[in-house]
Amino acid sequence: MLHKKRPGQRAVMAGLIIIGILFTAFFGMRAVHAFRKFNGHRPPPPGKVETDVELIRDWMTISFISKTYYVPEKIIFDALDILPLSNHDKSLKVLNKEYYPEKSGYVLSLVKKTILTNQPPLKPDPPLTPTASPPVAP
Amino acid sequence: MSEFLLTQVINFGAPLVGLILLLGALGLPIGASVVLIAAGAFSQQGILSWPGTALIGLVGALIGDTLSFGMGYYAKDSVQRRFGKSAAWRGARASFQERAGLAVFLTRWLITALAIPTNLIAGGSGYKYSQFIAYDVAGEILWIGLYGGLGYLFGSQWELVYDFMSNFGGLILGLVLFGFGLKQAWNWQKKTRSQLI
Repeated sequence: MLHKKRPGQRAVMAGLIIIGILFTAFFGMRAVHAFRKFNGHRPPPPGKVETDVELIRDWMTISFISKTYYVPEKIIFDALDILPLSNHDKSLKVLNKEYYPEKSGYVLSLVKKTILTNQPPLKPDPPLTPTASPPVAP
Repeated sequence: MSEFLLTQVINFGAPLVGLILLLGALGLPIGASVVLIAAGAFSQQGILSWPGTALIGLVGALIGDTLSFGMGYYAKDSVQRRFGKSAAWRGARASFQERAGLAVFLTRWLITALAIPTNLIAGGSGYKYSQFIAYDVAGEILWIGLYGGLGYLFGSQWELVYDFMSNFGGLILGLVLFGFGLKQAWNWQKKTRSQLI
C-alpha cells in the first residue's frame, strides 16, 4: 500500500516551509541591516565616561543618567525645576507626564541639554609614545 | 512593557532580573532577552553587580524552566489519554526522546522562541528531569553569558546588540522551521518512492 499523508499533515508541512521562508527572508534582511549598524561600532574601552547624549532614553531615571554621565542629580533636577524627593525612581517619561503634560518630550530634551553643558571635562588620552626614561647610572 | 521593566530593573536591580527571567521561562512575553542584555550593560555602568545579577538570573530561569517542565509532566496523563493510541504521537515522542538533550540545550540560547514548547513536550513525553535540568543549566549559562556578556561589553550601546540578536533569533527560527518542513517533505517523498518501487 502507498504511504499517504493526510491533507492536514500536508498542510502542516507546506505551512512550515512557507512560514520558514517568510521568517528567514524577513528576519534575515533585518539581521543584515542590524549587523551593518552593529559592525560600525566597537565596544567602548573599560572605564570610558559616556558622553553621547543621543543614547539617553525616556525610560531612564535621573539617578541612572547621573551615574552614567557623571553629572550630579541635583543639577539635573534643578534644570528641570523638579524636587528630587520621590522622583528618583521615576522615568523621564513619567516625569514629563507629571510635571509638563502639555510639552511632549520636554524633559528628555532638557536633560540632554543639561548633560551636554554640565559634563566634567574629559581626561586627556595618555600619550601614545613612551616617555623617555631617565638614564640608568652605570 | 519592556521600557517600563527597564526602569524597574534600574530601581530594583538583580532580584527583578531574576523574576523577569523566571516569568519569561514560563512563557510570558515580557522581553526577557532585552532585560538580560540591558542588565549586562547596567552592570558595566556600575548600576548592577554582574556576578550577582547573572547568578540570580540563572536561578530564576531554572525555576521557570522547571515549572514549565512540570506543567508538561502533569498534563502527561491527559495527553496520553487523548493521543496515546496515535502512531504519529508515539513516533514524535520517540523522535523527541532521541534528540531531547540537544533540543533543550539549543532552545535555551539559540532558538529561544521554542524553549516553552520544548519544556512542555519534555515534561509531557516522560523525559527524565535529571537529564533535562543538566542540559537546561548548560544552555541557560550560555544564554546568560552570551546575551549579558554582549550587553556588558557594549555598555550604553546595548540597544544595537539587542537589535541584532532579536533579528538573528528570528532568522534561526525561520531556518529551523524551513529545515523541519523540508525534512518532513523529503521523508514523505522517499517513503512514497520506495513503496512505488
